[in-house]
Amino acid sequence: MKSSSPTTRRRWLTVLGQAVVGLVAVKAARPVKAAVQNALATAPAPKSYDPFAHSWRMCIDVEKCIGCGLCVEACKKENHVIPKAAYFRTWIERYIIKRGEPGSEDPRGETIVDSPNGGHDGFPPSTIPREEVLKSFFVPKLCNQCENSPCDQACPVGATFRTPDGAVIIDKTYCIGCGFCIQACPYGCRYLDPNTHMADKCTLCYHRLSRGLKTACVEVCPTGARILGDMKDSRPDNPIRQFVEKNKVQVIKPHLGTEPRVLYAGLDKEVR
Amino acid sequence: MQKLKMPPQITRLAIVAVAIVVSYFGARFFLVPKSFGKYGWYRADTLKEYAALPISYGGAKACEECHSDEVAAKAKGGHKLISCESCHGPLSAHAADPTTVSPGKITNLRFCVRCHESNMSLPEKFPQVKVEEHAGKSNCVECHLGHQPKEQPKKKESKPAS
Repeated sequence: MKSSSPTTRRRWLTVLGQAVVGLVAVKAARPVKAAVQNALATAPAPKSYDPFAHSWRMCIDVEKCIGCGLCVEACKKENHVIPKAAYFRTWIERYIIKRGEPGSEDPRGETIVDSPNGGHDGFPPSTIPREEVLKSFFVPKLCNQCENSPCDQACPVGATFRTPDGAVIIDKTYCIGCGFCIQACPYGCRYLDPNTHMADKCTLCYHRLSRGLKTACVEVCPTGARILGDMKDSRPDNPIRQFVEKNKVQVIKPHLGTEPRVLYAGLDKEVR
Repeated sequence: MQKLKMPPQITRLAIVAVAIVVSYFGARFFLVPKSFGKYGWYRADTLKEYAALPISYGGAKACEECHSDEVAAKAKGGHKLISCESCHGPLSAHAADPTTVSPGKITNLRFCVRCHESNMSLPEKFPQVKVEEHAGKSNCVECHLGHQPKEQPKKKESKPAS
């Protein structure tokens, strides 16, 4: 008994020591794992996201858009939008402005706008001969996240509202699918989801912004035609502030007084 | 002195009024969601519900954690501003679990055409070609590296640059 007790005690102490070290290691590993997961983009939305600390804004440089449609495709994949034409949270329009009729005083002729499958698969060459065309360009469109949003005012049940950080979103527990907001939107940015029978629209990728990521359309845009930023970020190298300072920016349909939060540079007067 | 007595019809009216007020506040208590009115005239939890939706595109930073060499190679070429997932597709599942979820290969070897096919609507300075004239029947990657389009792939003998 006496001879065996020191070895037993030593063994027990060793095991106990290992257990303590193991427990401490597990405790230390958890915050490390959490930190790693937080650093990776796939982490769940941070609870610390404060909607009052941000003011999101998207700027679109029309001169840079090449109409590849990657943004349309990415938006559909990211937000699981119905993979059919007519259901888009963002889409691209091709504007073709013809030369004026010979002898007419206006050098600008007819404007032709098309958007095959929302630009999802890119744009086939136009059938209009090059000689007849004065100019042509692409305009990416999405919900303008209006400050003074008509859809928000039209909703009879208060399902649509503006978030403190500048997105217009729909509370799906309230929406009754009446479609008033779809008619109210002057930009055609909303659709009725045939599966849920509720209105649906661009959320400015709220789930991505709150994780510190860019929206899907901005993420994949190959030419930097779309940029997104936080106007409350006062750093001088903030790209969105630089864009607004440097460019002549404009909104679509300014006469409606909707005060869109999506700004465009290089818009032509034909764009509606 | 005659004692003042409440007329019975007034008492009944008072009871009905109190019942209406109580039922109003009762209904409010049970029907108005908890977070309603926290930020504004809506349910503040909607923001959290939207924020908790899963993502598909992991973002370029997630790619750089492991593929910093590819990112560095891309930074030298004309495609430096393009995010990895623009061409490779949504890969947040791969970033979360790199061993079991593998990204698909770009099978369309004329994938480049989506951006670089000549089109009168493109900005004039944007590099564009009439692909049938430029490449004939060969694939883009025979002469161009995807990450550095001005460079040629090392393995195969290169075609004369057009």
